[in-house]
Amino acid sequence: MQGWDRLQSIIKDSNSLECQCPLIVNNLSVKRSGELILKDINLSITQGEFVGIVGPNGSGKTTLVLTILGLLKPAAGDVKIYDQEPCSKQLHGRIAWVSQAAANLPNNVRITVRELVRLGTMKGFNLLLRNSKNAEQVNEAINLVGLQEYADTRISKLSGGQRQRAVIARAIASKAEFIVLDEPLVGIDRKSRNSLLKFLDELTHQTGTTILMVSHDIAAVRRSTHRMIYLDETIQFDGNTERFPDLDIIAELREIQPVHDSIWEAQKTTVSSDCQVCVEDE
Amino acid sequence: MNLPPIGEMMLEFIAPFLESIAPYMPGEIFPYFFSLTLLQRALIAAILVTMVSGFLGCFLLTRNLALIGDGLAHVSFGGIAVGLVLGGIGPLWYALIFCIIAAVFIHELQSREILTGDASIAIFSTGMLALGLVVLRLEISFELPLIGLIEMSPVGITNTVEGYLYGNLYLLSPDDLDLIVFISVTSFVLLYLMRHGLLATTIDPLAAKIQGVPVRGIGLLFSILTAAVVVSMVKIIGALLVTALLVTPAATGQLVGRSFRESVIYTQLFGLSSVLLGIYLSAELDTGGGSMIALVTACMFAVIVIGQAITKLLIKPDENLN
Repeated sequence: MQGWDRLQSIIKDSNSLECQCPLIVNNLSVKRSGELILKDINLSITQGEFVGIVGPNGSGKTTLVLTILGLLKPAAGDVKIYDQEPCSKQLHGRIAWVSQAAANLPNNVRITVRELVRLGTMKGFNLLLRNSKNAEQVNEAINLVGLQEYADTRISKLSGGQRQRAVIARAIASKAEFIVLDEPLVGIDRKSRNSLLKFLDELTHQTGTTILMVSHDIAAVRRSTHRMIYLDETIQFDGNTERFPDLDIIAELREIQPVHDSIWEAQKTTVSSDCQVCVEDE
Repeated sequence: MNLPPIGEMMLEFIAPFLESIAPYMPGEIFPYFFSLTLLQRALIAAILVTMVSGFLGCFLLTRNLALIGDGLAHVSFGGIAVGLVLGGIGPLWYALIFCIIAAVFIHELQSREILTGDASIAIFSTGMLALGLVVLRLEISFELPLIGLIEMSPVGITNTVEGYLYGNLYLLSPDDLDLIVFISVTSFVLLYLMRHGLLATTIDPLAAKIQGVPVRGIGLLFSILTAAVVVSMVKIIGALLVTALLVTPAATGQLVGRSFRESVIYTQLFGLSSVLLGIYLSAELDTGGGSMIALVTACMFAVIVIGQAITKLLIKPDENLN
């Protein structure tokens, strides 16, 4: 519990000094290879929110995240993180990214969970990463994600879910107030997925960390986040998770034509709740 | 080009210790590596080069760049050939310039995704080696127009060229030692300082960039250090066998180490024992130093792999086997 208190106090202190808005996006448009991927995106996220971005393949979810993080340049509009330009020095250590490839960490890198998490404490090019200063921070992060038993185990020996947790621990060790996760549910089993979503929810409630999670798994996002954004070139829906439309409305939005009209008509009346389960099982 | 005599200073500092342990060394010729200045120079250079190449090799393996050492060694040989012909500064300086240019270009081609890693290494290693060979051949043809063959060329130049190809511990001059000490010490310190940055950029470059780690700068500096270390190794183990010290001890260390830190420590252990055993065997059996060191590193790797396989079978028998 000491770890939780410490993290809470650190985040409270930093919040009192800075703007409360982790992310503001104004009229953002992004082109990739000359093609317009995102158009007129307006978005603002407040501290402590757990936001899920969903959308079909090629809808621009990852493009949006990369632009937010400053890894892609917008064609128009701007992005502010804690009132700063993305990638500015002031943001080092305040924002962390858990990439899509997190569960596929290279096996040839023979590093342990502790060594991986310690890398999260780097800010800029600090040449001497003092172990004594960061050891407590690293242990706290490992305990938070429940990997204390595996702290000195090589990441190559962990399951997909455990690897994902290890990478999230790296983000937590950085003391980031805003964590962006890109497809964290890919490649992990059902049990790991559920415990990971529960953990992320607890993280936002107990430490006030803001989480922006991109996922193709609409059902999982709907059952875990506070707010959902449906993206398909532009923002088609942005609101509380409870208000997220059911799947036949999304199908209308995406202009998906029913293949078998008779079956479709028969199922239309009962589609709403069952489809969530279908999507989840996919 | 002359560096401050740091190699000779180090030799003066370490020589009394080496001389004091010389009587306890086994063999007939091996003890002279601890008592004769010429061979002390070779021993110090070999130990320094092994330490830095092992450390560098641990990162090369994690970055899937095991063969870049081989490629850069080819480039260095091209540089040496040009250096032998043009003269002026020593051939190792030409090799250093050639290797750094090639390493930077290979890094840029890889990071900008213009070519895959292997293709860019192949192009530069063969291209710059070919340049060296052509320049060497032109020089020899000019001197001996009727013969024009490397095999029939003046004995001096072929011996020197062979020394760089297969390594020759006995040909190490004080200037060579200065360069080797300078490259080894500088590279080791820089690699130690940026070890976390190197790991972070290897595992997830984009996440590292968001943390503020200068991914591009670290990549470029690592390429330059790799080039410099390869050049420092050429005279010890030979251009053809550079990979043996760069990769094999690190690969053996990875088999045994349970963490990255442990892997680095085991790499040093395997590397240093290989180089000492290799020098001992080559001295006593009168074989080439570089080739014997390379053979010992490979044998050590094989022993560990087989030992681990047997231990696994004995301690943890497969449940599916009858």
